[in-house]
Amino acid sequence: YEGLTPGCHLHPFNVTVHSDRRSTCRGTQLVFACVGYCESSAFPSRYSVLIASNFTHNITSASRCCTISKEAKVKVRLDCPRGRHHDDVQILTARACHCDMCRKSRY
Amino acid sequence: VMVNLRRFTGCAVREFTFVVRKPGCRGAHITTDACWGRCETWEKPTLEPPFLDSFQRVCTYNRSRVVTVTLPNCDANVDDRYSYVRALSCACGTCDITTTECVTSP
Repeated sequence: YEGLTPGCHLHPFNVTVHSDRRSTCRGTQLVFACVGYCESSAFPSRYSVLIASNFTHNITSASRCCTISKEAKVKVRLDCPRGRHHDDVQILTARACHCDMCRKSRY
Repeated sequence: VMVNLRRFTGCAVREFTFVVRKPGCRGAHITTDACWGRCETWEKPTLEPPFLDSFQRVCTYNRSRVVTVTLPNCDANVDDRYSYVRALSCACGTCDITTTECVTSP
């Protein structure tokens, strides 16, 4: 990850899957997250917003956040001891990223 | 200090000009301090439901002050005072829906 770069980019990281708590079978897979710096701003609300909010929303925050725009499922093969077998486990990975609606930054 | 805005990351106070449109008054231009920037956000897959984890912060007011001005050219029976918030400092944080209109930028 190249650090403080504007925009929203694919960022690789390793996920390790365990078959159980004792980690009898396990597998590691490289998947992608979306990480970045999208533009946001905050400024005095328009008069129409003040009226509609009964003068409580005196700031307007206009923002976008780095989110996954395209995802895919990938199979992780688990390696087991002494020839035992475990079915593959499916996990998600990001395929593309974009600056889009911030759905979870509201409180 | 010159800052290259195309490469800027973080959240800072920035000059902002807007037009006040209050019924009964002519539009008035106001220049003040507001917030602008790019905050770190991410979304990543997880093994457990809901299979996605995210971190979202937006550039918003940290400390602020209410400024009241007198608008020019208002009708005689109209309150010619107008109040708005000026940013004293800005920070990457959550959008507080009790004080803030949270919208998606175009």
